[in-house]
Amino acid sequence: MQTKQTVSIIGSTGNMGSAIARSLAKGNYRLLLLSGPNNTADSLADEIKSLNPGAEVESIDCCYNASWEADIIILAIPFGEEFAMAEKIREVANQKIVISIANPLNGTYDGLSTSPDTSAAEQLQKLLPNSKVVKAFNTSFSTNFNQPVLAGKQTDAFIAGDDEEALNLVSDLVETTGFNPLIAGPLSMSRTLEGMQLLLVQLNIKNEYNWQAGWKILHN
Amino acid sequence: MYELFFKSLNEKIALTKEEEEIIKSYLTPKKLRKKQYLLQAGDVCKAIAFVEKGTLRAYSTDEKGNEHIIQFALEGWTISDLYSFITGEPAQYHIDALEDSEIVLITKSAQDEILKRVPKYETYTRMQLTGAYMAMQRRLTSIISLPVEERYIQFISIYPDIAQRVPQHMIASYMGLKPETLSRIRKKIASK
Repeated sequence: MQTKQTVSIIGSTGNMGSAIARSLAKGNYRLLLLSGPNNTADSLADEIKSLNPGAEVESIDCCYNASWEADIIILAIPFGEEFAMAEKIREVANQKIVISIANPLNGTYDGLSTSPDTSAAEQLQKLLPNSKVVKAFNTSFSTNFNQPVLAGKQTDAFIAGDDEEALNLVSDLVETTGFNPLIAGPLSMSRTLEGMQLLLVQLNIKNEYNWQAGWKILHN
Repeated sequence: MYELFFKSLNEKIALTKEEEEIIKSYLTPKKLRKKQYLLQAGDVCKAIAFVEKGTLRAYSTDEKGNEHIIQFALEGWTISDLYSFITGEPAQYHIDALEDSEIVLITKSAQDEILKRVPKYETYTRMQLTGAYMAMQRRLTSIISLPVEERYIQFISIYPDIAQRVPQHMIASYMGLKPETLSRIRKKIASK
C-alpha cells in the first residue's frame, strides 16, 4: 500500500508503546503518539525523527483527536485502563482497527484476572462494538522489539481477530516491526494468546531469561 | 461529525431514527490534515468519502509529474475513485485534502451492509450517482465545445465557492489550462 496509514499509539510513552512506535517509524506509517497524563511524547517523537529523518511522527495530547485522525489505533495501555479509554474514543473509533496488546495479568503475575471464557481483547470488543478489535503484540516483551531474532530465529508474533481485512493490515504492521506475523484465528483465540504470555512471563521469572525470550512455532 | 451527511441523506430519503443509527454504526469518521492523502494512485479505493468539513481533490499525474485535477469536493460532496471502488482495481487518482478536513468514509463492505439493512439507501446512492453523472456530462460538454473564456465564466457561476477557496493554479489544472493562460483569461474578463 502506498497511501500512508495513520497509526495512533495511545500509551506511547510506556515500554511497549515506545517500542512499537520506534519499530513502526521504519515503515510507511504516519504516527501520532499520545502523551500520558503525567508525561509528554514530545521527546519520543524527536528521538524517532532524529533516528529516522523521513519518519512522519508527532506527539498529540488528545486521545479523541488522535483516534479521529487514525486508521489504526493501538491501545498500549494496561488492561485496567482500557475500559475508561474505550468510553473516550468509542465514537471516533467506529469501524476502525483497534489493536489490543494488553495481558490481563493479576497483581502477582501468577494468573489472569479475566475468567476463562473471555479475554482482554473480547472485553474490549464488547466496549467498542463497531470497531475491529485485533489482538497483537501481546506475546512479545518490549525488549524483543530491539532484537526480534532470538537464538537465531525470528520470533513469531500472533494475531487474532474476526475481520479478515483488519487481520491482513495488522499482519503488515507486525511485519514492519521485525516479527514474523502469524494469524492465530478469531478474536476468541486471544484467550490462548493471553495465557501464552502468562506462561512466558512465569518462565522468564523462573529461568531468568532476562526478558530475552519469545515464541516460535517450529515446523517442517 | 455526521451532521451534513445525514442532512444530505434526509433531503433525499427520509430516515427514521433507527435507520440513522443502523447507518451510523457502519460509518468511519476521519480527520485529514491539509495536504494529507486519503488515497494514492495504485492503491485500491476502499471507501467513498463524504466531506463534512474542508476541501478535497482528486487528480491524476502524468509522466512529467503534472497534476490534472478531475474533481474538487467541498462540504456536502462525495469523492472517490469510483472505478477502483466498484471494481477493486488499483486507483488511477490521488485524493488529498486542500484544507484540514473532516470526512465520513463508507467502505464497500459497509455500503453492502447498509444496503441490506436499509434498502432505501439504494435510492440515495442512485440519486448521488445520477447527480455526479449529470455534472460529468456538463463538464465534458463544456470542455469539448465551449471557448475557454466561457468555460471559466460558467465554472465560477456554477461553483463560486470553489473559485473562492481553491488556489488559481488548481482551477487552471481542473480546466486543463496552464496557470498563465487562466490568469490571462481572468484579466480579460475583469477588463470587460
